[in-house]
Amino acid sequence: MARPARYLDPAVIARLGTIDLKARTIVEGFLTGLHRSPYKGFSVEFAEYRQYLPGDDLANLDWKVFARSDKHFIKKYEEETNLTCHLLLDVSRSMGYGSGEITKLQYGSYLTGALAYLMHRQRDSFGLIEFDDRIAALLPASARAGHLRAVLLALERIKMGTRTNVAKPLRDLAAAVRKRGMVVLVSDLLDDPAAVLEGLKHFRIRGTDVIVFHILDPYELQFPFEQAARFRDMETDEEVAAVPGTIRADYIEKIQGLIAFYRHELGVAGIDYCLLETSQPLELGLMAYLMTRRKVL
Amino acid sequence: MFGISFLSPLFLVGAAAAAVPILLHLFHRRTEVVIDFPAVSLLKRAPVQHHRRRRLRELLLLALRVVALILLALSFARPYFAGAAAPDSAPLTVIAIDTSMSMTAPGQFDRARDAASRAAASAPAAHALAVIGFSDAASVLVQPTTDRSAIAAALDQVAAGNGGTRFRTALARASEIIGAREGRVVVITDLQQAGWEANDEGGVPDGVDLEVISLAPPPGNLAVTSAEKRDRRIVASIQNYSNSEVRVPVRIIAGGKEIARTDVTIGANGAADVDIAAALPASGDAEVRVDDAAGYQADNARTVRLEAVAAIPIAVVVADPTGAVGGLYVERALTVAGAGREFDVDVRDGRDVAAGGEDVSRTAAMFVLGTRTLDRGGRELINRYLAGGGQVLLALGPDVDPGTLPDVLGVQLSFDESPVRTPGATMIANDGRHPIFRPFLNPSGALGDVQVEQHRRLNDHADRTVLARFSGGDAALTEQTVGQGRLVVFTSDLDNQWSRFPLNPAFVPFTVETARYLTRNISLARRSPEGAKAAESNPAATTVEEFTNAIDRTNRAALREAGSTARDLEDRQRWWQIGLLVMLAALAGEALLGRRAT
Repeated sequence: MARPARYLDPAVIARLGTIDLKARTIVEGFLTGLHRSPYKGFSVEFAEYRQYLPGDDLANLDWKVFARSDKHFIKKYEEETNLTCHLLLDVSRSMGYGSGEITKLQYGSYLTGALAYLMHRQRDSFGLIEFDDRIAALLPASARAGHLRAVLLALERIKMGTRTNVAKPLRDLAAAVRKRGMVVLVSDLLDDPAAVLEGLKHFRIRGTDVIVFHILDPYELQFPFEQAARFRDMETDEEVAAVPGTIRADYIEKIQGLIAFYRHELGVAGIDYCLLETSQPLELGLMAYLMTRRKVL
Repeated sequence: MFGISFLSPLFLVGAAAAAVPILLHLFHRRTEVVIDFPAVSLLKRAPVQHHRRRRLRELLLLALRVVALILLALSFARPYFAGAAAPDSAPLTVIAIDTSMSMTAPGQFDRARDAASRAAASAPAAHALAVIGFSDAASVLVQPTTDRSAIAAALDQVAAGNGGTRFRTALARASEIIGAREGRVVVITDLQQAGWEANDEGGVPDGVDLEVISLAPPPGNLAVTSAEKRDRRIVASIQNYSNSEVRVPVRIIAGGKEIARTDVTIGANGAADVDIAAALPASGDAEVRVDDAAGYQADNARTVRLEAVAAIPIAVVVADPTGAVGGLYVERALTVAGAGREFDVDVRDGRDVAAGGEDVSRTAAMFVLGTRTLDRGGRELINRYLAGGGQVLLALGPDVDPGTLPDVLGVQLSFDESPVRTPGATMIANDGRHPIFRPFLNPSGALGDVQVEQHRRLNDHADRTVLARFSGGDAALTEQTVGQGRLVVFTSDLDNQWSRFPLNPAFVPFTVETARYLTRNISLARRSPEGAKAAESNPAATTVEEFTNAIDRTNRAALREAGSTARDLEDRQRWWQIGLLVMLAALAGEALLGRRAT
């Protein structure tokens, strides 16, 4: 009997109907896999109560239940639900690039949807900000029951923006976020690296945890083109004629340098960095998120 | 004028294909691939290709492609530099000038030269001109040209020689040059009667005008037609080709001095033998000379070699213990040469070869017709003889044992042991100019009359030259070096078993010339210089009318196709090969450049 694939291919996810279904498929599959995995302790999927028994840690007593029912209950695996998470999705035109079946924007929206779904299950409060060189759409953080649907609907109706300017929306948002929480940035980070770093540092200064999902297409990493061509920038329409064979090594060196810069500088700033290729399973993003969330809580 | 011409100009139409890359370049230059890419900012600092440089490269690529296509078309069109050669279609006047011995009468050739110059000058302006000189053979002195100065220069150089006269040979050559185009032949000759060789072939094509410029022969001629040494005397024949009796001194000259003299009276159109005793030197040459100021000069003297000449020893090895028939035909053929004095033929059965020892080793050439009776000593002796510089003709007839042949020759010949039956196969010389086949040049068909019923199939080999082939394509006569010696192989037999070649008239000249070829280093040194042909000394001439009536009119369709001269030129120059090589180089360059561009 063939073993089922542990992770779902993003291209397969793309063929599923609504983003709601996509998010649920990703998360449920991920959690199912996680229960079988050595990472079981990270799961905050459900809260279980049992009566207090002598010897239990009093710190785990649920005082709210005690207040309502005058009974002692121990909460098991329940996490704090007061985490506020801001999902920042880059919708600039460069995110529309895709060498395979899905674009970076599709990949980013699936990841964002899956994260929203996961947060909803964990009763976290979450919001969505779509941006290019400005904030294009904003759904404030909430943990209401219908909020997930609103976020998924917004992701479904996403509109491609123009040029990337990560720094400006980050500065705007950093000013708006007052409560300690978490910011998840999903972007290809094709902007001035120093400006991006500066923007993200604003959150850290305010004590907000940040996780950056750097989304890149495999072709951006490998530059496997063979034929001489004119390469047109998707945001500026600027054209560069080039013979790939002669510039490949130089290009790869530069893109790897950019990645290394982000990895190092973000790490120094206490920001989690996760590079995701659009060919990689989305579950890797969820895993990175949970690791970060665990640190936060 | 000097310029380039083409054998197959229609192929030049193919050069139009060069327009294809040009059109592609013009109409598809904007179709280069455009790729939307998000990280172009990272490409900017990479060494991208500049537009101007890229454009230059594209133009270079285009040029290489166009050059390759044009060269391909040019190569197929078979170009050649014709110099001043006239186009194949131009009308042609061929001036055929007689250079035989009979033109050596005082002032005769100057008159011929003047007549030729006049003929060239009076040729129609639209006509190209060609000049051939003819005696026993006809050679093209000037290929068809419009350059009249080249004609004048060639006529200044040409001179009469010692050859005989062969009118048909000259006419055949002239017809070959004219081919299918409009033409005219001007023959400048003394119309000697002896010029009509019965076996010669050749005529003038239909529609080709013929003009004969007759030069009157001298009224009489005295000729020394033969001379030989007998003991201490010289015996010579003097021929008087005149209608009156003459008395003429006959002198013997040796070492530049007259050593004997006698007067002889010869009747009208008669001959006389003179027997002159003289103190002849032991070696060197003596010249027998008559004074004949008015007649042909080249036949006034004949040279006699004074030293005794021993016959050239030739061994014929056969496999016939009875000695009855083996080698009979070869022996008889060789004894004809030099009135029986040229070769000393020793026919031996294989068993006696080893016993012959030194005699066999000293032989000038060896004809091996059979090896089946050779014992070990005989095989080794022939092997050593050949490797040490001996000259061997091997006839691969039924008496040759293929199994022991490598021991005999010291080399592996590589042939099919079983004979091939090819009834009626004829023999064709690969190169008629080879010394063995020179006697068969005229008439050219004589060798083709040879019919061979069986032969052994000798495989071609890089170190072996095929001198003649049978009509089926198999080698008939080959030549190769073995050690320091030479091995000539005839792939059938010479003993009238597998063919009737020995009964054919061509057999004797073939055998004699083969023997002379194998022993030519010795023969040349011993042979007396050949004098003028006796028949050529007769000044009797035909009339122009008789001459014209004797000429056959040939069908143009039967002629060698037009353009043979051009083909010869093109064949010698082979510019098409250079064109193809350059085309390949252009394609290689295009591939390299194209690879860098993609």
